[in-house]
Order: sequence, then C-alpha cells, then structure tokens
Amino acid sequence: MQRVYVTGLGVISSIGIGRRAYWEALLAGRSGASEVESFDTAGMGRSIACEVKGFDERDFLTAAEQQRMARCSQLAVASTRMAVEDAGLEPAALAGPRTSVVLGTTMGEAHLLEEQQQRWFLGGTDAIEANLLPRYGTTLLPIHVARALGARGLVQAIPTACAAGNYAIAYAADLIRAGRADVVVTGAAELLERLQFAGFVRIGAMSPDRSRPFDADRKGLLLGEGAATLVLESARHAEARGAAPLAEVGGCGLACDGFHITRPDADGRRIADSMREAIATSGLRPGDVDHVNAHGTATAANDVIESRAINDVFGAHRPAVTSIKSMLGHSMGAAAALEAVACVLSLDDGVIPPTIHLDHQDPECDIDVVANAPREVPLEVVLNNAIAFGGQECAVIFAKPGRLPESADPPGVARASREAAR
Amino acid sequence: MSLDLAITGLGLVTPLGVGREAVFEGLREPDAATQEAFRGPSSVLEAYDRAHVAEVWGWDPREHLGARGHRSLDRMTQFMIAAARQTLGDAGLARDGALTVYDGDRVGLCTATAYGSLDAISELSRVAELEDPRYINPTRFPNTVANAAAGYVAIWEGLRGPNTTMIDGHCGALDCVLNAATHLRLGRADALLVGGAEVLSEPLYVALAKLGLLRDAHEPERGLCLGEGACYLAVERADAAAARGARVLGKLSGYGSAFEPPARESRLVEASPDAVSRAVRDALDEAGLAPRDVDAVASSHADLPALDDAELAGLRDVFGDDVRVAAPKQVFGETFGAAGALGLAAGLAWLAGCPVAPLVGGGRDVAGERPPRVVVATTVGFYGNASAVALTAA
Repeated sequence: MQRVYVTGLGVISSIGIGRRAYWEALLAGRSGASEVESFDTAGMGRSIACEVKGFDERDFLTAAEQQRMARCSQLAVASTRMAVEDAGLEPAALAGPRTSVVLGTTMGEAHLLEEQQQRWFLGGTDAIEANLLPRYGTTLLPIHVARALGARGLVQAIPTACAAGNYAIAYAADLIRAGRADVVVTGAAELLERLQFAGFVRIGAMSPDRSRPFDADRKGLLLGEGAATLVLESARHAEARGAAPLAEVGGCGLACDGFHITRPDADGRRIADSMREAIATSGLRPGDVDHVNAHGTATAANDVIESRAINDVFGAHRPAVTSIKSMLGHSMGAAAALEAVACVLSLDDGVIPPTIHLDHQDPECDIDVVANAPREVPLEVVLNNAIAFGGQECAVIFAKPGRLPESADPPGVARASREAAR
Repeated sequence: MSLDLAITGLGLVTPLGVGREAVFEGLREPDAATQEAFRGPSSVLEAYDRAHVAEVWGWDPREHLGARGHRSLDRMTQFMIAAARQTLGDAGLARDGALTVYDGDRVGLCTATAYGSLDAISELSRVAELEDPRYINPTRFPNTVANAAAGYVAIWEGLRGPNTTMIDGHCGALDCVLNAATHLRLGRADALLVGGAEVLSEPLYVALAKLGLLRDAHEPERGLCLGEGACYLAVERADAAAARGARVLGKLSGYGSAFEPPARESRLVEASPDAVSRAVRDALDEAGLAPRDVDAVASSHADLPALDDAELAGLRDVFGDDVRVAAPKQVFGETFGAAGALGLAAGLAWLAGCPVAPLVGGGRDVAGERPPRVVVATTVGFYGNASAVALTAA
C-alpha cells in the first residue's frame, strides 16, 4: 500500500488568506464573525456570519479564468494555486492524466443561481442571462481546478454537505492508494449565501452573535465561507521529487446515521463508529490519537452528542479537542477541509488552536477542550471529525509522516480491525 | 486487475416503467418504449406547452412508499427510496422492509445527481424573493442540499453504511462504480446501492430551454429530451455474492474516467473525443478486455450533436466501426446524474436477452445473434469530462 502524504496547503478563510495568515489567526484566537455585507439581512432576525473579506480574484486568476468561472470556483482555483506553490511544485508539474481533482462543496455556485433565479422570478425567462448559465453546476468546481492545473485524471465533486471536505479528502487518499493517481488535489469550497442563511435561521440553528462550541450558553452556529486545498501525493511521487511531507493521511471512517435528516442520533453510535474505523484502518488504537479536531458546530444537539461519541471511543484517554468553528463559523461544505488544514498545521507546529468563547463549558460536553488559548503539545496523530445534514459522517486521520504502521490493507481489514479496537 | 463486482439486484423508476421486469419488458420493444416514454404532455411542466419530455408518468408515492410519511420528501427522494427498496428486494437483501442478509451498518449507497436539489432551492428561493426569507418552509430546507435525498434513503431503508453523493455532470453514476468498488475492496461495506437520480423540474427545464438545448414539442426531431428517474444497482464483491448463492445479473469489471479541457482558453463547454476514448480504454484495461471483446456500447447519445459527435469520434477511435452503439437516452430521456446507471441497466437488459437498441443511426439489432457478453457504458459531459464502465455477463 502506498503511503499518502500531504505536501501542500492552500486556504481562503474569514480570518486569513494563505497558510501563514490562517495559522497565525487560528493561534491568536481571532474570530471571523462580523455583520454580513454580501446581502441584506434586515428583518431576518440574524445578521452575523464569518465572511471572506479581502479576497481579490485578480491576485490569482487570469482574465480568461475570471471570465469563465463563477465565484465559488474562483475561490477553489485560488486556494489550489496557493497549495501547489506551497508544495514546491511548478505550475505545470501536475499536468497530465496522473493528477486527479476531488472537491467537496454543499451549494457550489449558489450565488450565480440566486442571481439568475431572481431575474427569472421578477422578469420572466427573458430576463435570464443565458450566457452565464453554463457556469452553474457543482461539477464545475473540480473541472475548473483541473483545467488550471492541466490535470487530466478523474474530476469529482462530492456534495456531502457539512462533511464534504472529509469525504473528498478520504476519497482522494483512496485513489492514490489504489494506484489510480499519483497526485490528487483535494479540499472544498463554499460561499455564504442568502438562502442558506435564511434556512438556518428558520430551523432555529443560528446564533445571534457568537459561535460558542461546547459552551453551556451556546446559541447555535454561525455560517462561514471559504476554500481549503490539500495536495495529496503518493509517497513514491513525493520522494522522487524530494518533497518534504507535512503529514501523512491515514484511514477514514464512513458511516450514516439513517436516523433523522438534520439531527444526529442521540447515542452518537455511528459518529463513534466512524472515528473507530478511521483509527483502526490507520493501524492505530484510540490511545494513539493525541487530538480531535471536532465538528463542534455550537448547536445544542451536535456538541453534546459528539462529546458523547468522543468519550465512547476514547474512554479515559481524553484527547485534546478543539472546534475552530468558534472562529470560522460553519463553512458548510468547506468546513471539514478548513479543519483538515488546521489538523496538518497542528501536527507540523505542535500547537492546537483554541476553541474561543468558551466561558462555561457545558457539563454534558465532558471532554478536554482546548479553551480560549492555544495549547502546545507534541502531536503525532490527529483525527478530523465531520458530521453532515443527511446523517453522513466521516472521520479522517492525519499523522506525522512515517508515524503510521505499514499496512497491507487487505480486503476486510476495516471490519476486523474495527472490532479489535472496540 | 478486474473490479470483479457482482450486480445482484436492480431497481428503477423511469418513464418506461417502475421495476426491473417492467423496464426490461419495455426494452424488448424499443420503438414502442420510446413512444411510451414521451407520451406527454408533462404534468410536472404543465405551464410549458412546448415541453417534450420523458416523465415518470402518473407517479404516486403511495404505491411505492406506503400511505404515510412521504409528504416532506421531494419527487427525486421518492424515486430514490422506491428504487432502493426494489433493488434490495431484487437482490434478496431485504424482505418486508427489513434487511435479511447483512447488518444495516454494512450496507450503504453511492448516488449521483447533477441538479437534484435545484427544485427545492428554487422553491425556497421563490418564497424568499417574492415574499420574505422568513417565510421559507423549514421542513423543505434540508432538501436544498444534494446529499439529503440519500440521507432519506438511509433512514427509510435502514442503510447505515458509507453514504456518498457524487456530482460529475452526466458522468456521476458511472463514477459511483469506482467509489463503491473502493469501499467494497477495503471492506467498508458488504453491499452498496450504486446509481443515480434526476428529476424534471421547472428551473432545470427553463435553464436548458434558455440555452436552446431542448427538444420542442412543435419540432420533436432535434435536441435533448429531458427525462427523469432513479436507478440503483445492488453491488457486492463477486466472492461474497457467490458465497451467499446470490443470483448475479452481471459484473462490473472495469472503470475509466478522463478529463480533456478545451484547447481555447475562452471556451468552457466542449465535449472531448479524447476523454471518451481514454476512459473506455482504461475501463477495458482494468477489465482485462480488448476492444474486439465488446459486443455493444450503451452510449450517452442524446440528439445533441455537440456531445454526440465527440462521443462517437471517441468510440470510433477505440472500436473502429465494429461495435453496436446504442442510445438508451432515446428511451429514458436525458437524466444527467442517473444516466450512467440507466445505461448500465440497459446493458443488463441486453445481457439478459433484450435486443440491443435503440441503435444510433437507426439500425436494428441482428435477430438471432447471440446475446452480448460484454457491454461498455459511456457518459460524456459538457466540459471535457467522460467516464466508462465495462459490464460483463455473470
């Protein structure tokens, strides 16, 4: 089995653009929350979100690229260019059929859709701008990224809502291990959008002010937006070009609650199972995991149930847990990818970013939260957890390069090792 | 090394009928089937008298989902649950609504759609725009995310294994084959429902009509025929299917996918013959087959010359003129995310003895010729993406 390395990171977030600015902001505990500027929230009852400000597509994209793609794809391509540069790759180095692109998102080019639908509702079909319609479609995110790289392998979008980033990263690693690609550019992108915002207000899930994961006074999530890209390479490919890996991608656990379309199952059983499977298929035991980057949405249900699942998996071991959604809000399809970047940076730097706004930890969230200040601690193995609308779950392991045992990964290993780990 | 996956069940909701037997029966008479599929006028698009589409006629969720509980489910979700239920039953994996062979934790699904949540987004967006964002219906809100439909299938059918939704335009359902193969090979599941779904909706119709791509009821000879439906294949590792004595409808043996961007920077929409031929060659390589082994192609030919010409050129590059190329979309309509799965379903029908039809160019299957043993399903996207799957007889 090929080892899979993370060799480059790109990120566009509400608290910083580029790997360095993002990491400094995370460690400084900076919140990306502010009054929404991109649409009018008057009368909606909520007005705060974590918007990306200061992103200028002209810094990253050619005129032709700006012309042919809508904004979500622009974020994905810009983030990719940063990641490729961070990986020490020449722009043309990934051209050809051995590079694939797998990206997560929830709503993709929702801005374009909303604009054209407004025109349609108010002005009839004559008002629709036909020349812009081909730029809509979630399928376009990986296609634009592949085109920017000259990549000619598989292009795939995985729209598994709030877990999309992890689903994409897990599948990207699968493709490399199966020998179907040498490099997969993966991650996710999402835009803040009015309809989503209104929807979360309507289902009573949105906080009026701050995102307070694991706090007794949490009042729901804040929405966010952004893009994050990870360059994944086979060990052979990375070693051949002398690249220094930032981290290794371990196993993943995929599961589904099959319980309720928006609420997690109260016992958190499948959330726990997905974490166990990620650990076991990495050749590890729960006690090996130093840190969990939690889904931690700051909704009433999620934080209690996720804490329960974490305790179920780790028992007395109590790994350090953080939710960077306290700073970034919930960036939907991009959230897990932004968190994966944080996981890799934590491993690289030996610091866990804080969960800010944690004033009174909910006793029902009985976990070791990295509260309000970053924690320096040697890290070898971290777990990134994600849970979606729809009940889909996905946990992914990241580790120091070379930390994971060699694995032959024969068929059936996932089940056997998961049961052994119980 | 071949994928070596057994297809042990098939479930379909299509304009031609609901269920494997009804659809295979329809495919025996493809000309009649095409008439049946496009009998119109559409009830979904009743405001558009020029709409010439293949609808799931007379759909009544109560017939397939029981009397209760489906009110908040959108049309596509209803199709998917019905198709999933049939598939599990057809595969002998469930009886009377309960899984009988594998634990629910070990059965999952991999579903493609391209525009599946468009209708829900549009419905809520209309309320937000014309009335007030505060009035949008919270029970419909989850339907705006593309993976919610598959989440509902998991709830209704008790499937708690890996549950992935994929989007790759026309190619998604074939891409699901690789995703499922990966999960099954790594032991993440014992059985997966693999397929796709798409639904007729006003916003999709309006957008494609605006682009001038659609067939018009007043001029029904040219252009894309929109269709709708859902199709799942029950897929298991071949050794596991054999061990439980399952009936095998066919095998998924190889997969390929490729992307070739337009040469000109300013172009966005441009189908690629090279992507088609590379995807097909990779699928055949993985299956251990040569082009001469292939008896028929379930193409994505859809009376849209920009895509059809690229696909036929790509196929000619691999096969020369020595293969029957059929167009299942003549019968099912264009169903984007579901298209690859319906292509595989047509392939299974041919393996089971249905005539290979309707053939591109109007030729007829040669009567009395042995049924095909190897079918390649191909899909070609708007943007230079293409995928292929090699399907072989059990």
